[in-house]
Formats: sequence, structure tokens, C-alpha cells
Amino acid sequence: MTSLPHKLLRCSQQLALLTWFGALVACAQPPAPPPERPALAPTAPVALQLASASLPTSALLDIGVVVFTSTVSAEQTRDANAWLFTEISRKETQYLPYVLHNTLIASNQWGAVRVLPENDPSVDLLVHGTIFQSDGEVLDLAIRTTDSTGREWLNKRYMEVAAMSDYPDTTRFTPGRRFEANNFIDPFQDVYDLIANDLQAARNAIDAGALAEIQLVAEMLYANDIAPDAFAHSLQINADGTRSVASLPADDDPMRKRIEEIRLRHYLFIDTVDDYYRALYDEMQPAYVLWRRFSLEQIQIETSDRLREFEPANYSDSNNYLSLTQRYDRYKWSKIYEQEFTELASGFNNEIAPAILELNQQVHGLSGSMESQYRQWRGILQDIFRLETDSIPASR
Amino acid sequence: MGHKSQQSRTRRGWLLLWCWLPLCWSQIGTAQDPDALPKLNLEQPLRPIFAGSWERDFIRSDNWETELNRVLLMREEAIDRLRRSSSSDSAINQGASLPGSGRRGGANVMELARLAEYISRQTTLRITQTRFEVRIEREGDATLICSVEDGATSSFSSVHGSETCGWDRNQLMFQTRLPDDLIILHRFSVSSDGQLLSMVISLSSRGSDPFNLRQSFNRYNAPADEFDCTQTISRGRSCSQSATQP
Repeated sequence: MTSLPHKLLRCSQQLALLTWFGALVACAQPPAPPPERPALAPTAPVALQLASASLPTSALLDIGVVVFTSTVSAEQTRDANAWLFTEISRKETQYLPYVLHNTLIASNQWGAVRVLPENDPSVDLLVHGTIFQSDGEVLDLAIRTTDSTGREWLNKRYMEVAAMSDYPDTTRFTPGRRFEANNFIDPFQDVYDLIANDLQAARNAIDAGALAEIQLVAEMLYANDIAPDAFAHSLQINADGTRSVASLPADDDPMRKRIEEIRLRHYLFIDTVDDYYRALYDEMQPAYVLWRRFSLEQIQIETSDRLREFEPANYSDSNNYLSLTQRYDRYKWSKIYEQEFTELASGFNNEIAPAILELNQQVHGLSGSMESQYRQWRGILQDIFRLETDSIPASR
Repeated sequence: MGHKSQQSRTRRGWLLLWCWLPLCWSQIGTAQDPDALPKLNLEQPLRPIFAGSWERDFIRSDNWETELNRVLLMREEAIDRLRRSSSSDSAINQGASLPGSGRRGGANVMELARLAEYISRQTTLRITQTRFEVRIEREGDATLICSVEDGATSSFSSVHGSETCGWDRNQLMFQTRLPDDLIILHRFSVSSDGQLLSMVISLSSRGSDPFNLRQSFNRYNAPADEFDCTQTISRGRSCSQSATQP
């Protein structure tokens, strides 16, 4: 039996032979199992904790909320219309992170908060979310947050149950009465407030020195992403699997300055990406809220007493014509209700399709989905850096 | 003998050539426009074309009362045969299977026949078909939707019943299972010229022999939709003038 530090040491030695960054992530961040689902009950109302005074710079960490993933997939069922709901779920993975983004900004506790298509080495804190269930009634998601050093801040499952009162009458808007986004509170806002408060509590448990280290590690991680040859030695893996700064170039180091310039350009890009997610959120919100309300109505119809009284056990034993036609009619109407609901799902997808298309066509000169454009952009920045530094060999 | 067989072979060769030439010619004709060739997707099962507007052909369709009388007559004949072949009536009382008879307390054939008529009252059907699914819209009833994939697909399920659909070679089938083991089977097929649609409804209750009712539909040319409509969630159906309109 070898001790844990020995195992880690051997692991880090082996990793040196492999691609540095990818292997580093694999060693420092083993895939964590999803946390257990909490009991199905509405969470108590939560008050978002707002920053009462200006916070020190070290506390103002930059947060990247990565587009969520979803466990809902069409393959799970052979239902012919399952793809429609998978499509909605895919849109939710881009919408829900923005609700969390807005909540974190509203708390005034953080630096820049952006929604990102994938992991980004330039931010201090990355938030990942997995949607287990999302409809008009229940939101069940797991949130995992890690900082640049690889320390896990949060790995928790959140769940909230909404009621019809969470969808005010103004939700059912008409062309003459448009959706009022400013007056609308998300039915699951308590979940987002709770996540924001949990993040704040996690930060409060870390001393100022460690918070400053997180920002430095993020800087070096980004430098290493752009110029791995020059900055490979700047980070080290600790015995507990986290990263720390091993050596830091001087503040006036030309290479570091150039990286800083590239990083600023990168910030401009990810700010723009975040803007596109905001545009999608704004575009999607009225239809999505309406969709959720319909979804809750459908769930309530399915579970209402009116339906429960027709449970198979309550069917008449009689097999006369009247009884048979009643049995068929109940079936027929339950199917018609569901088909109407499926048509609404299709309507939601139709309505949001142009916004998704716009999101994926936004960055001129780049092509493919937002994720693909984001990768292309990072490649372009690496090329720019290489071109610029090749012209100043003295700085190496 | 050998000479004769050689002659016969030569004749057969010419015959084959004559048959093959027009085929070859048609191939050359279509090869001039490769874009016009339909692309065969081998991953997608080939299905008959059900798409179109269909109206009931009352002459070809079964009348439920006539069909019921036929079943009852067959039943009586079967009983007579059993009576004649057995020395006593005990065989009947011992549970011999009779056509159309209800068993284990299920609905009797008369109730099933009336229900079959109730379910198949629609006089027109509108069927749309894509590479992925077939949708059969019926007046006053829920749409039947099935994938074109092989294998059974669960197309609907609730406390009131469930529906499974699938393909039996060129026939599209929907099996609806209602509470108390009442089973409704819809079987759709089209004629080889694509002009006649057959819908056979089979109803059985608690494992009884099914009552079958065949309905035939003729293809007709429904007027083209004036509008292209898209379902949206906040604006309902959003329509624009169809581009195909003059």
C-alpha cells in the first residue's frame, strides 16, 4: 500500500510526460459523482445576500458560468416526440446559466460574471451546472464550482417546486400586453439566490491571501494556455491536487505584459460572447416563461383529482356500449391534451429558432456554433501571440 | 441436341438484350441530370407513401351491422357444427372456442362492433409523411403519429391507456390498450397504385376473438393550403400567404 502523497507524486511525474494542461486537469479534478437529489419540497424563501460595502479587490473574483449540461435526452425514451423536449432542454442549458449570471451580478459580490460556452482558463471561478429536471413545476440541478487552483467550492444539488402563483396573470401575455421582463421574478429564483449565497459563504471561508493566489493562478493558467513553452514552469501541483504558483515573472516582464494584452483582448471577446447569451436570454424569456406555465398546467391536469378519479381501478366493470365509449373518450381526450402540449413545445422551439441561429452566426469571420467559434477565437489569440513574440526574440 | 440448346441460348440472349436496352436507355436519360436522381438513404427504412387526403369509400367499406351479422351467423354455424359433431351439447358448455365470442367477462361482440363503428366514424383522413414519421389526422379524434423506424415505438401513454405503433412489413399499425384489457388495433395499408387506403380496426376485450371492421378510403386532391402556418408559443399560429399561391 502506498501512501496518498506518494501516489500523487507518482501521478505528477507521469503527467509530466503527457500533455501538460489536459493531464493536469485530469489529475487535479477527478470527475465527481453528482450530489444526491434533495427531497421533493419547495425550498424556503431565500433572500439574496447583497454586498453592503465595497469589497477588496481580492474578493472580486471573475466568474465564468459555463453553459449547463442536461441529463434529458431523446435516447432515454422511444417516444416519437421526445426530440421536441430534448430540443427544449438544449435551449435551457443556455438560458438557465444566464439567470444565475443575473443573480450573481445582482448580489454585487463578484468581479466580472460571464456565461461561457465552455471552460475558460482566464477566469478565477468556473461554475458548471447539470440539469436533471426542468419543467414548469420542478427545477432540479446540480452545481459544481471550482476555482483556478482546482479547489472545489460547491458540489451540491438544488431543487425547487413552483406553484401556479409563481406565474402571475401577466405571464399569459397577448400581443396587446407584452411581457414585462423587469417586473418578472423567475419561479425558481430561490434556487439561484441560494447558489449565490452558497458561493459567497464559500468565499468568506477563504482568507484574502488564498483569494489573491486564485487570481494569480488564473493569470498563469491563461499564460500557459497561450504560451505553454514559456509558462510551463510557472505552476505546480500540490500534494492535495490543487495548483499553486511556482514562479512568477516580474511585473515588467515583456512576455507577461504581452500575455496581459492578449488577455484583455480575450476579455473583450468573452464579454461579447456573454452579450450574445444575454440577447438569447432576452429573446427567449417571454416564450420560455409562457412555455413553463403551460407545462405546469399540463402537469396539474395530469395529476388533478379530475383525472385521478378515472384511474383504472375506478373504471366501471360494465362492458356495455356506453362504458366502452366513455373509456375510449377519456383516452382520446388525454391524448389530444398531450398532443396540444407537444404542439406548444414545437411552437416554443419554432419561436426561439431564429434567436439560436443568430447566436451561432454572430461572430463575423468565425463559423459554426458558439462553442466552435469560441475555440477558433482562442486559436486565433494563440496565433497572434506567436506572431508577435516571434518578432521580439529578445523578450524570450 | 447441342445445336438446339445453343440456338435457344442465343434466342434468350437476344431477348435479354431487348429487355435490357430500354432500361439502359432510361439510365442514360436520367444520367444526364444527376441532381434529379432521388438520393437513397440506406439508413432510413423504405415505407409506402401514405401521404395525402383520403375520403371514405362507402361502397368498399364494411358496414358494421352487416359485419356483425356475418360474425353472428358464423358463430351460429360453428355452434351447429359443434352440435352435429358431438354426441351431446356438453362440448359447448365445456368452453369450446366460438368465433366472435367474448371470454372471461369481456365486452361481447355486439358492444365491440358498436365501439368499432364509434371509433371509425370519420369520413376523411389527412396524412402527412416525412422521412421520419407518419401523421394521420382524423376528424374529431387524436392524431395517430408513428416513426418510420423499425421496431415498436411507444407513441402515447397515460392512466387512460397507452399506444404503441410499428410496422408489419408495409402495414402501419397502432395498438391502443385501454383499461380493463380493451385492445384496439388500427392497421393501415395502401394499394400498390397508391390510390386506395385501407384501415382495418380490430377490437378485442379481455382476450376475446377480435371484431374486425375494414374501412376503405380513396385519394382525393384537397385544395392547397392558402397559408403557410407556423405554431408559436406566444403568438399562436403565425401564418403567411403561401408562396405556391398564384
